[in-house]
Parts: sequence; C-alpha cells; structure tokens
Amino acid sequence: MSGIWVVIEDRAGRIGRISWEAVSAAQKLASQRNEKPNAIVVGAQTESLAAEVASKGVAKVVRVEHPLLSQYTSDGFTLALEQLFRAESPDFVVFPHTYQVRDYAPALAARLNQVLIGDVVAIEDGPLFTRQLMQGRLAGSYKAHGAGPCFISVQSGAFRGETADAGTAEVTTFSPTIEAGQIRTKPSEPFRGAAQTVDLGSAQLIVAVGRGIKEADNLPLVQELATALGAELAASRPICDNGWLPIERQVGSSGQTVAPKLYLAVGISGAIQHLVGIKGSQCVVAINKDADAPIFEVADYGIVGDLFEVVPALTEALKAARH
Amino acid sequence: MKIVVAIKQVPERDAQVHIDASGRWIEESDLQYAMNESDAYALEEALQLKEKHSGEVVVVSVGPERVGSTIREALAKGADRGIHIECDDLNKRDVLGVARLLAAALKPESPDLILTGLQSDDLGYGQTGVIVGELLGLPHASLILHVEKTEAGLTVKRELEEGWFQTIELPTPAVLTIQSGGNKLRYATLMGIKRAKTKEVRLVTAVELNVESTPVVSLENITLPQKQKSTQMLPGTAKEAAAALVEKLKFEVRVI
Amino acid sequence: MIFFSSTLAEPQYFSTIEKVLFVALILTSFVLFWQRFGPILNKILKSKKDVDFHLFPAGRRVWDFFWEVLCQAKVIRERPLPGIAHAFVFWGFCAFAIVTLNHVAVGLGSGFLNPASLIGRFYFYFAAAFAVACAAGIIGLFVRRFLVRPRWLGKDLSYGSGMVALLILVLMVTYLAAFFVADADPVTRVLWWVHTLALLIFLPLIPHTKHLHLVLSPATVFLSRGGFSQIPPLAGDEDFGLVAGTDLTQLVSLQAYSCVECGRCTEHCPANNTGKILNPKEIILGVRNYLNDLGPASQEPLLGKYNSQQAVFQCTTCGACEFQCPVGIEHLPILIGLRRGAVNTGAWEDNHGAKLFLALERGSNALGMSAMERDKFIQKQQFPIFDGTQEYCLWLGCMGGYDPKGREIIADFARVMNYLGTSYGVMRKEKCTGDPVRRLGNDLLFQQLAEANLELLAQNKVKKIVSICPHCVRTIQEDWKEFGTPPEIEHHSEFLARYADKLPKQKAAGTEPAEKIVYHDPCYLGRYRNVYEEPRAVASLAGDVIEAPRSHERSFCCGAGGGLVFLGEETGERVSHVRAQELAATGATTVGTACPFCNTMFRDALASSGEAAPRLMDIAQLTARGLPQDGSKLNGSMTA
Repeated sequence: MSGIWVVIEDRAGRIGRISWEAVSAAQKLASQRNEKPNAIVVGAQTESLAAEVASKGVAKVVRVEHPLLSQYTSDGFTLALEQLFRAESPDFVVFPHTYQVRDYAPALAARLNQVLIGDVVAIEDGPLFTRQLMQGRLAGSYKAHGAGPCFISVQSGAFRGETADAGTAEVTTFSPTIEAGQIRTKPSEPFRGAAQTVDLGSAQLIVAVGRGIKEADNLPLVQELATALGAELAASRPICDNGWLPIERQVGSSGQTVAPKLYLAVGISGAIQHLVGIKGSQCVVAINKDADAPIFEVADYGIVGDLFEVVPALTEALKAARH
Repeated sequence: MKIVVAIKQVPERDAQVHIDASGRWIEESDLQYAMNESDAYALEEALQLKEKHSGEVVVVSVGPERVGSTIREALAKGADRGIHIECDDLNKRDVLGVARLLAAALKPESPDLILTGLQSDDLGYGQTGVIVGELLGLPHASLILHVEKTEAGLTVKRELEEGWFQTIELPTPAVLTIQSGGNKLRYATLMGIKRAKTKEVRLVTAVELNVESTPVVSLENITLPQKQKSTQMLPGTAKEAAAALVEKLKFEVRVI
Repeated sequence: MIFFSSTLAEPQYFSTIEKVLFVALILTSFVLFWQRFGPILNKILKSKKDVDFHLFPAGRRVWDFFWEVLCQAKVIRERPLPGIAHAFVFWGFCAFAIVTLNHVAVGLGSGFLNPASLIGRFYFYFAAAFAVACAAGIIGLFVRRFLVRPRWLGKDLSYGSGMVALLILVLMVTYLAAFFVADADPVTRVLWWVHTLALLIFLPLIPHTKHLHLVLSPATVFLSRGGFSQIPPLAGDEDFGLVAGTDLTQLVSLQAYSCVECGRCTEHCPANNTGKILNPKEIILGVRNYLNDLGPASQEPLLGKYNSQQAVFQCTTCGACEFQCPVGIEHLPILIGLRRGAVNTGAWEDNHGAKLFLALERGSNALGMSAMERDKFIQKQQFPIFDGTQEYCLWLGCMGGYDPKGREIIADFARVMNYLGTSYGVMRKEKCTGDPVRRLGNDLLFQQLAEANLELLAQNKVKKIVSICPHCVRTIQEDWKEFGTPPEIEHHSEFLARYADKLPKQKAAGTEPAEKIVYHDPCYLGRYRNVYEEPRAVASLAGDVIEAPRSHERSFCCGAGGGLVFLGEETGERVSHVRAQELAATGATTVGTACPFCNTMFRDALASSGEAAPRLMDIAQLTARGLPQDGSKLNGSMTA
C-alpha cells in the first residue's frame, strides 16, 4: 500500500488545532490524486481518538497502540512508526510541526534514509514544499527526491483546519513490537514553569500601556483588554516610575526584554529605550492618538485614535470573537 | 566529561540577504557571519558543565574556510579545541548529509555528550542534532533549557508548548539540542581571543570523511516572501478599527 | 625693647654646639624625609613603563607647567577663593626658596644674602610681602578645612594638614617677627631656631601627608598625557588594562601619589552627587593604598579590597574629575583602565553589559536593532548614499539611525544641509563607532568596530564626516587613531555655526518675548572637545540663550555616557532627573541639546517633571524650524 498519511498528535486525549491543520494539508496533497489521506493515532489507548479522527474526512484511521506508548518518548514513537511505515511504504507522511514532532520525526526520517521537510507553510504543484528561511526574510521551495516516503511537517496556522471534511472512516489497529529496554529516556509528567508572579520574558501575548493612559485610575481599562485577550499586562517606564504598575512589568532597556507573538502597545509613543525591549516581538500592534508617534514605525498594525474609545471597543470585539 | 558542541556559522542576524543569480541560494560574497544563536547557548551550557564537573569541550563546525573564525570565537569563549570539517558545498547537502559528516567526525572522539543549538538562524531545519544522535545510535532530547549531570547520566529540562516543561532522564553518551535563553551568554574577551591563538583546530575535509552526499531533499528555489513587513493602518471609527484588528489577530497573526 | 628695624635680624654667630646640633637636625630631617619619600619614589620608578609616553614635543608640557603650576590658573579658576589662598601659599613658598637657603647658610656661617645690602633689603621685603599673603592664605585654608568643612574633603579631619598649616604659619610669623628685632637681641636667636625647627619638622612631614603634592605634582602636571581622557594603547599580548599591581604604569603611580585630596573631582562627580558609591578621589587613593600596601609588583587584583568594581562601573566618563584636577591626575584613563582589566578578562559580570557586548558581537549597533530598520529609515528619508562625490559623509550613529528622536534630529540636520546646498551622503554599512564599549573597557569589540569602520570609510573614500553625536565625533577623531587614520570630522554644531550668518534668524526684533533656550553642554562636546560657543551661536538664531547654574566646562552630565545608558537602572537618584530639574528651573521654555544621548535622557526626565516642562530640542531642530516651509534653498532654487 502507499498513499498520503497524516500523524495526529494529542495531549492527554485532546487533539489540538494544529493536527486538524495537518489533516487539511494531507487532504490537499491527497486531493491531487483524488484520494483521501490515512490518519495515524499513537498511544496506549487510542480508541476514542480514532473515533474522533474517523469523522474528519480521512480514508482510514490506524491506531498504533502499545502500552509503552502511553507517554511520549522519541525512542517509542520512532520504533512504532518505523515499523508501520516499513509495512505500509507511504508516499507522503504529514505531521503537525509541534515540539514533539520536532523531537522524533527527524530521527524517524533518517532511520528510513529520508529527510523531514519541516515547518512547511505552503504546498505547491510538484509537489514543492515552501518553508521560511532566514527567519522569515526569504522563502524556500523544497523537493524530495528519495524513493522512500516524503516526510513533511506543517506550520501552525498555515493550513486552515476548519475545512476538514466530514465522513466516517474505517479504523484498524497496528501493534508494534517494542521492548522496555529500547526506550532509553525517562520523561517526567509535564509541569508548569516555576510560579513566577510576572514573567514577561516568556509571555506569548502582551498588552502594554504607556503615558497615553494619563492616570492610574484609567488602568483597569487596559487590564480588561489584557484579560479579554488572555495577555500579560506590561508598561513603559513612566508608568512604573510613577508607581502605577510594579517595576517587573516594565518593558524596555532598563526593564524586561520581551519576545511575544503579539505586543499590543496602548498609548505608548515609542522611545528607543522602549523599542529595544520589544524588538523580538513577532507582531506589534499600536494604538495611539498621535499619527506621527514613532511606535507606528515598528508596528505591523496601527490604529490612530483615542485609546479611551478604541480600547473598550476592542475589548468588546475580542470577547465576542472568543465565543 | 568530554563534551562536543556542534556550532554553525550563519549570516549575521541583521544581515541584508540577497538571492543569488541561480535563484537557489543567497549571495554570500558580501555577507558578515556570526555564531548561530542557539549554538552559542549550547556552547555556554557545555562551558558551564565543564566548569562544574571538569573535562573537555570540543567544538565542531562544518563549512568553508570562513567557518574558522567562528570556531576561534568558541575557543575564545572557553572551548578547549576545535574540529573544522571543511566543506565548500554545504548548501548542496541536505540536513541528513550534514549530520552524516558530523557523525563521522565525532565517532572517533567518543564524547560523553554532544550538544547542538536547537536550530539555525539561517535555514532553521532544527534537525541536525536529532539526526546525529540517530546516526550514532545515541539517545537524544531536544529543546533543552537546563542540563544536570547525575550518577546514572543526565537529567535535563525540556521545554514543551504553552509554558509547560518536563524533565527527562537519559543515559550518557547522549545528544541534546539546546534552546536559546536557558543560560546567560558570556561575552568574548580580549584575553579569551589571545589565549585561543594557541588552541588546536583540526582540519578534516568532507572528502576524507567519505559519507553519502547525494541529497534526498533539495532546495529548488528561493523567493522573497509575499508579505513584506510594513505598517498596516486600520482606519474607521473606534468600533470599525477594533473589529478589523480582531480579524487580523484571528487570521493573520493567529493568536486568537 | 622692640623697635621696627629696617632690616631682617639674623643671629650673628653660632656656638660650635649650636652648629653641631643644627647639622645633626638637618641630617635627621633629611633622613626622615627620605625614609618615606625613597620608597615612594622607588614604587613609582618600579612601576611599568608607559609605552606610549613621549617627552617631546615639550611645548605643551612647558605651557601646562607655567599655567597650571606657576600661575596656579586651574586652582584659582575652578575655586576662586580657596584657589587664591592656595596660590598665595604657593607663591610664598616660591619666594621663600632663596630665603630658606640663606637661612640654612646663615646657620652654617655662610649667609649669602646680606639683609643690609640693597639686594638683600629688597628681597627680604619682597619675601615679607609674600609672607603676609601666605600667612593670610594658610589661615583661610585652615578655617575652611577645619571650620567650614565642605563635604568633598571627607568626613575625617586631617590632623597632618592642621599641623602643616600651623608650621607654615610659624614659619611666616617667625620670619616677619625678625623685622622687629635687632640682630643682637636674644629674641632673634629664638626666632631663628623656631623657624629652623619648623622647617626641619615640615620637611619629613611632606612625604607623610598629602603635602607630598608639593614635590610630586609639578612633575605630574609636566609629565601628564595631555589629551583629555587619553586612553593608552594596550602593550603586548599580556596587557588587558589595569588588572593587578603589575599593570600600574609610572604615570598612574605618580598620579596616585600626587593626589592632594582636595576633592574637586568628587565635588563635580555626577555619580557621587546622585547617591552612587563612586568617589573619584577614593579611586585614586585606593590605587595609592594598594601601592603602599602591596607595591607595583603585586599580582593581587586592583579591584576588590582597594577599589570596588561596582563603583568603577558607575562612572559616566563625563570627565568633570579629570578636568577639575589641579595636580594633573588623569582619572579617566585610570577608571577606564580598571574597567578594561575587568572586561578584557571577563571578570565583569553584568546582564545589561553582556547584552550590549553580545549585540555588538552579532550586529552593527549598540541598540541591538536590525540593520534593516536603519535601511528603511534611509529609504524613507531618501538620503543620498555616499559614493565619494559628495563633500560630507553624514554619520548617522546608532541614535541617528534607530532612535525615533535621533532620527528627527538627523532628518532636520539633513534639511538644513539641503537648504545650504551642501552635498552629503550616508553609508549603509556604518557600524557603531565603539564609544560605549571603549568607555566600558571592551578592547576586543572596540578594535573590531574601529577597524571595520575605518576600512569602510577608506573604501568609500570619505574625506569629511559630520555627525550629530559628540560621542561619535570624539571616538572617531581620537580613539580610532590607535588603529588608523580617521577622516576629518566635525560636530553639527561646528558645521552650523560656520553658516550661522546664512541661516534664518527666528527672532523678530522687538515683538513678542523671544523664546528662552537653556543650552545644556554635553560632556563630550564641552570638556572633551572644547566646543562651547558654536552651539550657543546656533541656538541664539532661534531665541535667547540662557545659562544653567552649571554650564560650560562645569556642565553636569545627563547620565548617559560611559556606556551607562545601556546598563539599566541606576542606584540612587537618576543623574538625568537631577540635571533636567536644574535645566527646567531656569524658567526656559526650551531645553537646547547638542547630543542625541542627552536628548533621550532628558526626554524621560522632563516628562516626569509635569505639565510645565520645557520643550526639548536639538540645535539642528531649532535651526530647521526657521527654514522656509516651501523647501526653497539658500540660493533661491527649489528642491525637487
């Protein structure tokens, strides 16, 4: 047998959005040859996972099941999937580009003398797989030449997961041979990072407030926005100098350096001392009433307007979007 | 403890990169190079382990002659010796081909620990370390922030998604790929540079290592991404602008 | 009976016992002097040679000696009252040289200056005048030190100084009293002996107290490096700056022993005045104590017991200390030398410092920003790229290239150059000049940056540079010399001042009250470059220039220099706030700056001083404000 395969990843029985996006990518590849992809779920007990996947427009779901797969280990997953792929010789295997996949898929590919094309953002005819180079400054198209399976992993958000078709697929079980001695690493249960009160450095979403807020009494307005977004609250130096927010929330050259996915700057004009602290941000959004404020120079999205109007409107819109 | 750190020389973080005439690679002539950032963290971890447990830190790098300066930088920061795998066709090899070179060069060293950075700042495959472990038959762990030596081997702290972590115990020898930010990097010093002058850098050519070099995966062409970063202003009333922003956050920034 | 004698009374004979006693006392005094002074001299001479030291050309040295030592110009100018008191004492001593020699000769029976002769009479009266002045001076200094007690003289009373003051007074009084007695009067003999004893007690006290400067400081002033904050090159592969005693050079040791502990350095130190532990005087004395205890051959680190690393890294390198020092001590090469020792060996561990160094190891600017941001700015402003045909290379610097406010200054300065029709271009691959790492003592990075920039300038055939940043100007012109020949460079204030008569004057005569501009002298433009009047001339085109209490060479730092702007939060009060408040308190409507670092420091500081804060504008912005709005040029043509 051959075909397009997709590996589903779960965390404690829950399948994340990125796995559905991988399914869509696999469907895109498969549709070029009028096929549906086959899905793989891996674990010690995969029945309910398989049932969930079976309804998502796949041809078949294979439950790769073994007691030693109850917890993820690179050795266990590599062994199990190696055996499956040796048996099935797929043409393409699609993974979600997760930390877990990055941990074992390169080794799995190498074991089959293949190379994983990781972090794919687009698939073009050929097929050519596009991925980012030079930290997003360039894009490169990759092609696989090997006789064996072509492994790719897809970047979160690159393929819309919502487009997954409905349908009911056949479910089979594959039981790999794994011995306890073959698993060399012993992972612990996942834990949350040390309970720090504020850790802006590792925050993914940050709402930062500057002098535009005018008075300490207006801070709850921005706090509500941060809550609606699920973001940490941060501030520019003058806010902390005034004691309106504690110093550990200060971003900039004399405070924290941050690298979030989203940095939403409210009423911050953007002095250099502040800008150097946020240059690692992937996306900067600025709300400021001064259209000439330097923060707009570095922002990806900007709204020129009165923050006392824009912020409440944004909080409302976010709350609505979350439902 | 004998630790090997595989480091890569990459274009400077803010270098202005241009696509070359072939359309399959970048113009190299006018570039300035630096040590890959997460490799710098791998080196730092190795140096700290050595300071704690004594031993030797060997750095290895694959690439053309210019790579020598990055090896010297690592020696200046405290590595004991270097191995330079001279290879002028690095961009023609895929990540498996590069890992094969490293594995072949490292096998006779029989280190207790091999460290690499999580991924390179230029091509960003993030696979080299994991594949080297596979080729050498060693256990590995990736995305490591902290390494502790134990009686049995190692206990490492691994980063998971969304603020979660786990610890992993594994025996040595092993391969770890190190995530940026776990340690504080040391800066290069004049004294370090002067001391590094007398340290050994062994040169091996890719030909001598005699590994399979036909790529399974090739980079066919390089293009500029469609979206160049520029500020997108969202006009309209407060309500309209807010709604437009929520759209962007949902579908372009993908944070909600 | 006492009567006024027209001549100085001298004992006419001495018994053999007296002569033997006199000779014995002289010998004892000299032995006691040498017992202390010999080892000090030895420590200075045994210190490392200064490889960069050249005695010639000596013209500058002779002038410094004449002006600072003989004329006491610096002593008087910077502290007029105590300065004049000190000058009287000094000049008194000079006048007394011959008197004292003659005094000793008399004791040995061979006085050469006859009080009754015309020359003798004249000279002794001449000396008497100085004696009066000297006595008055020493009383004044005594009152100041023991009764007024300014803070910078330290908490501990110096009993040695009191003793010396008393001895000087005794010398003067006994000398003057001899005019009122006859030769044969027994009182004359008593006066002579008291004078002698005072002299012979004074001599050994010199090397035991800060009065060592009497002997050393004339040499220190004469031998000093001369250039302001002139940082010596490292010598050989094992020189990493001031790490241990073996790194102390003869000049450093000489300067350490010359310190007179007057505390002028501390009085003007911005760090010390805002609650930091840095005390420049104590740094110098720390080196002296090290030499006293361990000597110049010691391998003990200089930072630790004798000087604190934390203090050394609180210095903004504003140079007020070095500028003020009346005895020729060059504080900055010592402070920066200690930093070099800590940074070049990796002993200095500081998160912010490491971040700065790593940013410059990996990139081109001290702010760690992406060079693409700079490119975007160049494109947006449509700055011409320097191609060898233009007259000036416009140096952007890190602030001009990345800081939003610095960019405004550069853009405005470019507008002025456009107006004047001056041709200029910018360089895409310009890197940080290395100023912050130079001042923080990172020689590796500094050399790399200087060499890369020098090569770039040579490739582009740059002949003249103009820059809005005094730090860039200083570093390019002076510090890069170690690695090549930098092109000619000037600060934009110098450029603008040259064209002052061609630039629009913004004051309409006699109408509304003119704008009051308080101009802040940047350290690196004033003390470092001696440029005070040009920026004022430029600012006066835009309004009335008023002065802050501390201005010109006494200007108070903004807190940014020495790499400190990159080192995170400071302890104590913020230097920038203290200065900003001082500037705002002048009642000016505008604070005029000529340095983008000062500008950025005051931006935050003024903002926190409330609604009534004055505006903050660089002199380039003040100038550009007056340009015609239609973009027309000086010669009447229109810009494209």
